[in-house]
Amino acid sequence: MKIKKDEVGWLLLFIAPTLILFTLFFILPILFLLASSFTNWDGIDAEFVGFENYIKLFNKKSFVRAITNNLYWCITAALITVPLGLIIALLLSHRSRGWKVFRTVLFVPQVVSSAAIAMLWAAVFNAEYGLLNFILDNIGLSDYKNHNWLGNVRTANAALIGFSLCYVGYFMVIMLAKTASISEDYYDAAKIDGASQIQKDFYITAPLIKSTFFLCIILAVIFNLRQFEYVYLMTAGGPANKTQVLVVYIWNELTVQRLGRGSAAGVIMIALGAMLLLLLRRILKSETYN
Amino acid sequence: MIKLILKKLSITFIAISFTVISSVASAEITITWPSIWVGKDSKTTVIGELIDEFNAANAGSIKVVVEEQTDYDIYAQKLTAQIATGELPDIMTVGAQLLDVLHRSGKAMDLAPHINSDPHWNNVYPENALQSAMTDGVLSALPYELFVTPVTYNKKILKEAGYDEFPDNYDDFFKMCEAITANGKVCTSQMTGKNGWTSMLWYSQALASAGGPDIYEKGLDHPAYVKAFEVMEKMYQYTTSDAIGADAGVSGGHFLNERTAVFMNGPWFIARYTSDGIPGLHENIGVAAAPMLMGGEGSPGGYVGGRQSSLAAGKQSDPAKEEAIVKFLKWLTIPENVARLSYSSGAMFIVNADLPNDMDRLFIEMKQGISDAPYVAPIFQNGIGSLAVASEFPQALSALALGDVTPEGAVEMLQDAE
Repeated sequence: MKIKKDEVGWLLLFIAPTLILFTLFFILPILFLLASSFTNWDGIDAEFVGFENYIKLFNKKSFVRAITNNLYWCITAALITVPLGLIIALLLSHRSRGWKVFRTVLFVPQVVSSAAIAMLWAAVFNAEYGLLNFILDNIGLSDYKNHNWLGNVRTANAALIGFSLCYVGYFMVIMLAKTASISEDYYDAAKIDGASQIQKDFYITAPLIKSTFFLCIILAVIFNLRQFEYVYLMTAGGPANKTQVLVVYIWNELTVQRLGRGSAAGVIMIALGAMLLLLLRRILKSETYN
Repeated sequence: MIKLILKKLSITFIAISFTVISSVASAEITITWPSIWVGKDSKTTVIGELIDEFNAANAGSIKVVVEEQTDYDIYAQKLTAQIATGELPDIMTVGAQLLDVLHRSGKAMDLAPHINSDPHWNNVYPENALQSAMTDGVLSALPYELFVTPVTYNKKILKEAGYDEFPDNYDDFFKMCEAITANGKVCTSQMTGKNGWTSMLWYSQALASAGGPDIYEKGLDHPAYVKAFEVMEKMYQYTTSDAIGADAGVSGGHFLNERTAVFMNGPWFIARYTSDGIPGLHENIGVAAAPMLMGGEGSPGGYVGGRQSSLAAGKQSDPAKEEAIVKFLKWLTIPENVARLSYSSGAMFIVNADLPNDMDRLFIEMKQGISDAPYVAPIFQNGIGSLAVASEFPQALSALALGDVTPEGAVEMLQDAE
């Protein structure tokens, strides 16, 4: 579409508020973040230190572990949470009896405060009085009687990432909504051809909600790249930095007044996010936007 | 229609004008205080009473409003951010580790001129207490609460394990832990969550015992840091299964419920032995100096502790508000009020106050311990002089406790954070 000359003024006028807000609250902070990442800013004084913050960060095991853990979170979300959401969405799309109850129950974690959920799960995982150990003990797995799920290097990450599967409901609802927009004609035609329910799911529903499925993967990766509250509230990155993630790492740097290094970690996080999104776009091609 | 709109506008205008005029006429100064002495804190009741009394006495002119901050760590983190942004609250309770940053920021109200203009603070503080808190003649925070952290132990559990006295060295201490474990109880309350508070206090004791009270001046290369971690490594063999990742509530909760025999915390916890402990717990508690490391540079009976909370205020542009804040700070430091706080909570304060004769037995024993102590060394969090190292301590400790690193490795983690 060609824009006429006399329309340019109006166009600029209409996009100006968004442009100003975007610049003020997005572009400028990122520029500030970038500039401060080359300083030793401690909240009071700042001196230019070049790439020192970046070098120190990549030499720190805990920072590298934070990046690795974030990637685990993203991979789990893309390969387990979202596909699980798809399976549940396909099952619920049959509108079997009680499907609304399941949909509501699975969506409940989205409407409850994440801090409350984190505290609840921390109690479930507690070694001394936690519900999980109580159940395991009662079904004969007494080896786990006092197992400290969040305080053990072998189980802390698994417990954290495992509990994040509760959020499958969010992606399920998005994909379920998409299934509602599929024309009944396809299913009627398939019925005439004698297709089973599973065949309808795999050959009609799944391909038609593919773009939404890919969108969910992108959303899940973004959410998990900025994972903060569950890790902060349940393990604070411990034990021994084993559950450290990028945002908690940045938060810790800010609280010890190493704002310059925290900014550098923030820049790396933005770069990592951009790379992941580009990679996903390439893998998923243009399906997401069709 | 137009008449109706005009009528509604007129009513709104009158209402707004009335609100503005009444607020200007009242000119009440509101002082906000994000306070940690709320919720379960042992000072909550009396601090609340003191604020109510102050507000009543200054009704219409000054009003102190508390913003409840129940998590000490989050509070410190919030203050750190506020110092960096220059958006300090009117009044704040500052821990020792933030004093230097607060002073360097230049955002805190300088209380030094108020000391010279009114004899109140010079009269109620011990000699040199205020002068030693100044940096370059500036008093950014008023020293308020002090603390020591001796060992508190459950005499009943120790007796059941065959011990009438608390051991004075770590060899005997761990033998005692073995006996307590054999008796079906847990020896110590530990934690690595948040700042690892109670474990950090144990580490500080072991550190001062191994390297002497001036250990922090000797640098992280000193072998005492490794020796103290060796003690902690063993300590975690005799603690609860949830210690790694546990916060102070969990760690203290085990002792309050007689699940553990030995606990370390400051005197402010005294009131909670009665209020939150199982019935009869307070009577069973004994106080002792921490055990000594054989061959260490510390002395028997040495304590760790020091200046805990200080009261500070954000710099004000309005002289009337500054006066109001100073008036409230003076109210908090009146000896009678300090005595009330101390009596109800067990906390210790720097202000000279005539304490009642029926002060809690544990408070008296702790005070006696300080008098007899050859030194009171700083705790690790305050003495190490680096927020980053203090913040890495819980991670290094959990790595050690899980066998992920050796004591030398734990020290390396601290050095790496520096």
